[in-house]
Amino acid sequence: MTIVSMDEQRGLALCADAGGQRHTVEIALLADAATVVGSRVLVHAGVAIAALGALAA
Amino acid sequence: MRYVDEFRDAALGRALGAEILSLVEPGRHYKVMEVCGGHTHAIYKYGVDDLLPANVELVHGPGCPVCVIPMGRVDDGIALAKQPDVIFTCFGDMMRVPGSAGSLLEAKADGADVRMVYSPLDALRIAKQNPDREVVFFAIGFETTAPSTALTLKRAKTERVANFSCICSHVTIVPPLRALLESPDLRLDGFIGPGHVATVVGARPFEFIPADYGKPVVIAGFEPLDILQSIAMILRQLQEDRCEVENQYKRVVPDEGNLRALEVLAEVFELRPHFEWRGLGFISHSGLKLTPAYAELDAEVRFGVPGVRVADPKACQCGEVLKGVIKPWECKVFGTACTPERPIGTCMVSSEGACAAYYNFGRFAREREVV
Repeated sequence: MTIVSMDEQRGLALCADAGGQRHTVEIALLADAATVVGSRVLVHAGVAIAALGALAA
Repeated sequence: MRYVDEFRDAALGRALGAEILSLVEPGRHYKVMEVCGGHTHAIYKYGVDDLLPANVELVHGPGCPVCVIPMGRVDDGIALAKQPDVIFTCFGDMMRVPGSAGSLLEAKADGADVRMVYSPLDALRIAKQNPDREVVFFAIGFETTAPSTALTLKRAKTERVANFSCICSHVTIVPPLRALLESPDLRLDGFIGPGHVATVVGARPFEFIPADYGKPVVIAGFEPLDILQSIAMILRQLQEDRCEVENQYKRVVPDEGNLRALEVLAEVFELRPHFEWRGLGFISHSGLKLTPAYAELDAEVRFGVPGVRVADPKACQCGEVLKGVIKPWECKVFGTACTPERPIGTCMVSSEGACAAYYNFGRFAREREVV
């Protein structure tokens, strides 16, 4: 999913999936640098567990 | 779309198929286990196995979260769902898993308030919206899903949501892999490692497989080219007489895992002495329960559950399928008495289950060229 907007106070982000549908996602498990608007994140059961491409060479 | 389209390129897939063909030793039969149900689904959805020579056999592992839940545990959930004033919440797949006397979906039809959620956070929101009802979340899944439950329990505790609790059936992936490697029924040449679990736990927990059992492991992504490349990497290790953990899914999986997730898991969960797995029996230190600091949010403590062990139906061979001993279509009831519409076994319920994948993508009756 792609981060569309952030609610840093509550540790949540509004994310859009491939079809454009929006979901509230918990982002507490990602580093701050990975959680910016436009970042692609891997979401499982409502929680972002990884930022895509963060480690790619 | 970036990270998706480039991993579904047909020409690259055929090139990887040719590379795999060049790596196999004629006359040798290779058995490679894909641990994760997500891989099983992708393999049959995209026809990955059609690009493999017949002497490279993919064996389905125990990594489908729904498939490994034993019937007795489903009965525990149904018993809680039938308690007065309880709203019972679970993932959609879990609603259709048969217990000894029906499923959660049937309990709902009988009047129990069972609701499907996409995330434990949805269950917590239902609890806040219904302060006069008890809301129980049926937590299942491996280390991929457990952080979501852990964060939700932390939120419930911090926000003092007293009417929320969780029946924890989370499991961990390493103990069943060790059990499979110790099994005399199964000879494996290598493992396609679970990419999403590794996102959380990292690559290191899998190092015992090459170290103790001499089998290569390649942690893999979930697109068709990810899986093909991982098979090629395993075969290359075997060809070069190497044996190690390699990470094909580097765009997502760091070697050390997600340290924040591991921290929250350690705070909220601890290992059970043993936990029952469908088809695999009781495995030591393979299930999670809530730590004493979170005991007030443990539905098993709050309500009590029957906790009765229930044997699988005699006709169902999910256990053999989960251990990779038989293929789904070799089960006596596959596609006849057991279908996705009316499943007898768990492997026919979830889209990650091997039986459902075979059934839904019609890939159970074709022959391949023998090298």
